[in-house]
Amino acid sequence: MKKLFAVALGILTAIGGFVDIGDLVTNALVGSRFGLSLAWVVAVGVIGIIVFAEMSGRVAAVSGRATFDLVRERLGPRIGLANLLASMGVTFLTFIAEIGGVALAIEIATSVDEVLWVPVVAAALWIVLWRVRFAVLENAFGLVGLALVVFAVALWKLDPDWMDLWAQVTSPRPGANETWTSYSYYAVALFGAAMTPYEVFFFSSGGVEEHWSEKDVGTMRLNVFLGFPLGGLLSLSIAAVTAVVFLPAGVQVESLSQVPLPVAIALGKIGLAIALLGFFAATFGAACETGLSVGYSMAQFYGWSWGKFVAPRQAARFHAVVLLATVVAVAVLLTTVDPVAVTEYSVVFSALALPLTYLPILVIANDPDYMGERVNGWFANALGSVYFVVIVVVSVAAIPLMVLTRGGQ
Amino acid sequence: MAERTDQPGFRRQYDAQLHLLDRQILDRDGLPVAKVDDIELVVRADGRLAVAALLCGPGALGPRTGGRLGRWTKAIWRRLRPDEDPQPGRIDAALVTGTDSAVHVSASAAELRLDGLERWVRRYVVDRIPGADHAD
Repeated sequence: MKKLFAVALGILTAIGGFVDIGDLVTNALVGSRFGLSLAWVVAVGVIGIIVFAEMSGRVAAVSGRATFDLVRERLGPRIGLANLLASMGVTFLTFIAEIGGVALAIEIATSVDEVLWVPVVAAALWIVLWRVRFAVLENAFGLVGLALVVFAVALWKLDPDWMDLWAQVTSPRPGANETWTSYSYYAVALFGAAMTPYEVFFFSSGGVEEHWSEKDVGTMRLNVFLGFPLGGLLSLSIAAVTAVVFLPAGVQVESLSQVPLPVAIALGKIGLAIALLGFFAATFGAACETGLSVGYSMAQFYGWSWGKFVAPRQAARFHAVVLLATVVAVAVLLTTVDPVAVTEYSVVFSALALPLTYLPILVIANDPDYMGERVNGWFANALGSVYFVVIVVVSVAAIPLMVLTRGGQ
Repeated sequence: MAERTDQPGFRRQYDAQLHLLDRQILDRDGLPVAKVDDIELVVRADGRLAVAALLCGPGALGPRTGGRLGRWTKAIWRRLRPDEDPQPGRIDAALVTGTDSAVHVSASAAELRLDGLERWVRRYVVDRIPGADHAD
């Protein structure tokens, strides 16, 4: 019974923790501009993150090594360092976007400008990272993040023409007012939002901290195989409601405050309040994960002690990096940069940086020296290799598409 | 290729590049010490190479990183050290008790004293914040 509860909790937090600011903004924006014609990208991205997370979770459980240990072991100090800087840079950009997202969610609820909330949010966030137990952090935000189910309820309540929605899903091409380049650009953005690298850094580091062993691989897989697709459905329901409400009206989503409007239309004030609670939990939880991931990456690369399971003074350099990242993130946000714009760039740069960490994991997952009997089977390898090609193509296309579309204009 | 048959930790011939360099070093309690940033080799009487010590810290990593960044890493590290001619942190091969996905040593991280930056950050930054010794 206790075991069942633990498994259910793991799956629920995987669902609630799946959505972050990148998923919220990108899905809403894409829904309002392209309807559900890009829904297939969410599916491709979700399967991709499942493949990536399963491999790195298995490597963490069997070898006890997290992502950036392996990056350095396989790529050496020089290329490994370039990889660290690029991946950490993208994670840090996502960290800024998440903190901005929390501030925006509070702005929507209070009508007090987000810039004023940034220092408050960052201070609260840092106290959580400094003091709150890992399990509490993971479970609390994951469970409250489930409030985003309100988007699925809103979709049902809006009672759209389901045949029309399905027609959008099955016609994967840009609408009359859109070009193929902007369609492709947003395909890259959606893919980056679903397959954000920090999710894997956090997942594998958490596994190492919780001392997963080979017998935990089954539970880990259940979380990934059930939790991530259901989390992906939450993402899709956000795209679907904006497709129903904004697309016919020709309104383009440009700010986070527009995203919960369809919920307000369908379910009134209560729905809006639940949606905002979901926004807050999803972005705050992801801010914790990205902040820790910045510290994890650097500490693992240089062999420092790290993590939430030891007292901060036992992982002094790790906590100093997390603190510094939080301070710099606040400084960036206080320049009044638009967090939604930061988010749009962060998902595209995520897609760009993916191969850097994906390849070392794919190689190690096939190395019997690390994995013994638990190396990739033929199925994991077939999927893993197909996805490597997909990830490289998306990564190569990201910057040219960004330039061609001027960031999706 | 390096071989060390007379030490408990190095029972077989192996590829130092693939199996030793850049691995995590864990102390006797399983706590992280450092990375194997470089290794010191000796030529044995029979002419074969053996690992004499694991080298750790920026003084060892800088030269392996190479280029301007590597030189700067080492130069900054030298400036920050009090001694006239600082040497990289060194763990004698005799302390190595085994290698798997990490390199295990028989000393404790505190005894090895390879973590100068960690101790500095602990003393001047982290210990000054309330709750620094509160573990999960």
